[in-house]
Formats: sequence, C-alpha cells, structure tokens
Amino acid sequence: MLLFALCWGMLLLGSTVYPINDVLQVLLGEQIKGVSFAVSNIRLPRMLAGLLAGFAFGIGGNTFQTMLRNPLANPNVIGITTGSSAAAVFCIVILHTSDAIVSMASIVAGLATVLFIYLFSSGKTFSIGRIILVGIGIQAMLNSLISYLLLVGAQQDIPAALRWLSGSLNGSQMDELPLLTVSVLCLTPIIIALGKHLNILELGEQSATSLGVRTNITRIVLILSSVCIIALATAVTGPIAFVAFLAGPIAKRLVGVGFSNAIPAGLVGANLVLASDLIGQFAFEVRYPVGIITGIIGAPYLIYLLIRMNRKGELS
Amino acid sequence: MKPKHIFQAEKVVAGYDDKTVIQEISLEIPSNKINVIIGANACGKSTLLKTLARLIKPISGKITLDGKAISKVPPKQLARIVGLLPQSPIVPEGISVADLVGRGRFPHQALFGGWTKKDYEAVAEAMEIMNITELANQHIDELSGGQRQRVWIAMALAQQTDILFLDEPTTFLDITYQVEILDLLTDLNRRHGTTIVMVLHDINLSARYADHIFALNKGKLVADGTPSRVITSNLIKDIFGLDCTVIKDPISGSPFVVPIGRHHVTYGTGALS
Repeated sequence: MLLFALCWGMLLLGSTVYPINDVLQVLLGEQIKGVSFAVSNIRLPRMLAGLLAGFAFGIGGNTFQTMLRNPLANPNVIGITTGSSAAAVFCIVILHTSDAIVSMASIVAGLATVLFIYLFSSGKTFSIGRIILVGIGIQAMLNSLISYLLLVGAQQDIPAALRWLSGSLNGSQMDELPLLTVSVLCLTPIIIALGKHLNILELGEQSATSLGVRTNITRIVLILSSVCIIALATAVTGPIAFVAFLAGPIAKRLVGVGFSNAIPAGLVGANLVLASDLIGQFAFEVRYPVGIITGIIGAPYLIYLLIRMNRKGELS
Repeated sequence: MKPKHIFQAEKVVAGYDDKTVIQEISLEIPSNKINVIIGANACGKSTLLKTLARLIKPISGKITLDGKAISKVPPKQLARIVGLLPQSPIVPEGISVADLVGRGRFPHQALFGGWTKKDYEAVAEAMEIMNITELANQHIDELSGGQRQRVWIAMALAQQTDILFLDEPTTFLDITYQVEILDLLTDLNRRHGTTIVMVLHDINLSARYADHIFALNKGKLVADGTPSRVITSNLIKDIFGLDCTVIKDPISGSPFVVPIGRHHVTYGTGALS
C-alpha cells in the first residue's frame, strides 16, 4: 500500500505538480504536452529504478544477513558493494570501457570480493565474526583504491565514476532498466525457492546437514544470486547506502519471525529508496541524492547495532 | 512401530583435518533399541556419532544403511530416516517454539509446497510427546535449559526419523531434567520403536537406560553389548583409568559404578561387590 502511494508520489511530484488524470493518461500512452516528457522520460524511469533497485538491495541484503545470522554481515558493510564500485571506477577511469563491460566488471568484482573474504576468513572453523572483520578491512582497502583512481583519473571521466560511489536516481534512463528487471524477475524466484533452505541453514551447519540440506551448494547458489542482483542494481543506481543493511531487520520486525523474510525485505527496500528519494528531492532547499538520505537513516542504526552486539559479546 | 533398519559401520577411520580421531571402528547398531556410546573425554565419542550421522566424512571405511552407503543416499531422503540433535544447536533470533519444531519437517516438504495436514500433525505430536504443547507460542530465549532441550528433541521428532542420533542430550542439565529427558526418550523408543543412538557422560544413567552400550577408548571400540556385560570394573579402569567397584543399581538392577578415590575408603575396596 505504502509502496503504491510512494510510486504515485514519484510520478506526480516534481518541479511542477501534474494532476493525477494527466499522469494516468500519459501512462496509458496518450501525449500531453509538457506532461509526457517529464513523466515518461524523467519520473517513470526514476520511479522504476528506485523500485527495482530498492527491492534488489533489500532481498539480497536480507539473504546475506539470514545466512550469516548477523545483521552486520551484508554487502554494504563487508565491502562487496565497494568491490563492485572499485571495479566500475577502474573500468571508467583507466580502461574507458563501454557501459555493459562496466556492469559486467562490477558483478565479477562483487563475486571476487566474496571469494576473497571467504578465503581470508576461513580457518579451521566457520566464524562469522571473522568474516565481518575481514570484510570491513577489505572495504577500507577498496575505498583507498577508489580514492587513488579518482585522483589519477581524467577530469571528464570523474562524473561518470562518481555515479558509482553515491547512490542516486538522478539521470536514470529507461534503457538501463530491462536488464535489472529481467534479473530481478529471474533471481527473486530462486531466492524465494531457497527460502526454506535458508531457514534451515540458520540452525547451523550440523542441524542443516542432518535435516538434509546440501549446505555448501545451497550457500553458493544463494550468494551468487544475491551478489548478482545487488551488483546489477548498483550498476543502475549506484550503491544506495544502507538499504541492503536496513531492509532485512525492518521487514523482520514487521512480519515476525518464522515467515519467509525475502519478499517483505525486498518491499521494505523499495519503500526505503522511494521514500528517501522523495525526502531528498523535496524536504530541503537543495536536492540531495537518495544515498545521502538513506545514509543519514542507516548510520545511526549501524552504530546502535554495534553497541548492542558489543554488549552481548557477539563481536569477539 | 518403526521398521527395522540395518545400520553398519565398516572399518571407519575419521577425524578433523589431518588428525585421526577414530581408528578402524566396525559396528552394527541394534535396530529399535536404545544405544549409548560411552568413553572418556576426547576418546572420539562425539566424532563417532557425527561420522555415523554423516556430519563428518570418514577418511576411509564405509557406513551403510540397509546395505547402501549413506553418502550415496540423497540427503533429503536420508533425512527422513536418520535424524540428529547436535550438542549445541544454534537458535535463530526471536524464533518461537512451534516454529522451531516445524523446521524439523523440512525433509518431508517439497520445494514450493506449503504445509500439509501431515506436517501439522507431526509437529503437534512431537510437542505433545515432549510435553511442550503449552509452550508453543513462547520464544526460545524465554525457556529454561531443560525446556529448551525438550524443544530441540521435539524438532528432531517432528522429522519422524526411524533412527535418532543425540549428541550429549543431557549435558548442562540438572539431574531432574537429565532423568526426565532419558524417560521421554525411552517412551519414544518403547512406543514407536525409534532406534536411539546417543552419547552420554553419566555411566550409571547410561547403564540404566541403554539396551546396548558401545565403549570407546582412544578412538577404538573396546567393548559393546548389554550394560551388564560391558560395564565391569576392569573396563572402567581401562577407559577412564579409575578404580571402582561395580554393584547392582538398587532401583533398576543395572550395573552401578561406585568410584574408589584416595579418600573416604572406609569399608575397604571390595565391600559391596
């Protein structure tokens, strides 16, 4: 419901507010002078990009958090999105490749980051704390790499690169959306189908094995699907801060434990992005990109979580 | 009654990384009985149980169920016959009792299928057997250690396996709850014929509740059979390095180990045997 209202909000509001009727007619294919351009070239792509990317961030982040049984273990915090961004910036600034290759590179880099984290943190036992700490370290390294690339990069490449660093729905184009739509439509069913497996994985390696889950292959499929869906969304909107991190826990509060959290997390993610974008566009004198607003919401929550986990002694 | 199964291990060697813990153990688990694995700390009891329950891949040797290697049976199909309660299972945050018990139904459910009537019945029955029906909507975090353990066993029961492995189900529980859990497991075995294989620390409770005992020493199977045949002062000396005298349990008639230490040996060392 809220999502529906927010979608309409995105279409109706702008520097000029159009009446509902006009917007509806444009959506149905009619041409109305002035309205048509604003709605179908600017607001509709913006709304759809926010909707799809928010959903993708939400569902992907939730999968990571559930699988690793820790809200900190999500692509934003452990450097997977930063890996994607670093690769994209490298392609843009140094290699000057086409957009498609930039997207591909970002997906590959996201997966490579996961592999890296996994290799560095795997010891005799499977430790979630270690994964998170290694991930935060890798994140810091990748961030310094990005800073370096921006310093050496040519002036005219910087704006394109910056798009990969802070999430924004500005300049979303209709032609960027089909790939993201297809991947959301393909990967979501996989993640949902494995929802029951995910619930069982949550009980730990031993219980999961004795309940008949092939733990390794299930984990790999889930990681691949989540990283792909997040990297593709990042390719369209840039890494919108903290959405993947916030959506899962909020959805869990809303629907309660025990139900599959995947779809609710996706919907919460979409709501967060659209609401934040509306706030960013209209609440202040200056227009802020959506990533700034989600960052303002997300950062205090991250600190709150760290404090709470530290009290419980879960970080050691 | 649960059907009879032939569960065998043949020259199984197992361990972690490059450390061998279990050396060439061959055994057959008596079907529809209560089996207990005993032995000193770090003798490989838990490793043996985990290897039999397919959590650890044996380095060499074969484990078969009704003549078929368990590594060849599809995991979900195997999970409908063989279940395991690990020593310290992980509780997902904020989960309710009914939800946790329900997860035991996983091997019976299809990929996209919802819950069937059979699933609900199995969960209700498991909670009833374990006496936790009235706790159904409570959160696991609110329960006592004994209640929690009953919930975990109920989850394993909801799985409705013919064979149930339990890794130290009574550890960390007060004596009252230890007896309660062992009684409940005995009910399960007597009423449904579920084959139970568990690791226990307490020798005297093992001797009382087991139909069959496997005694392990330094990774080797040194004796197996009925408690009265296996539990002797010589065996206890061998595997625990403890002097003792074995008397008859005044309540059950099973062997009862009375340790002999350096102090308080008031009546001499052979007084009651």
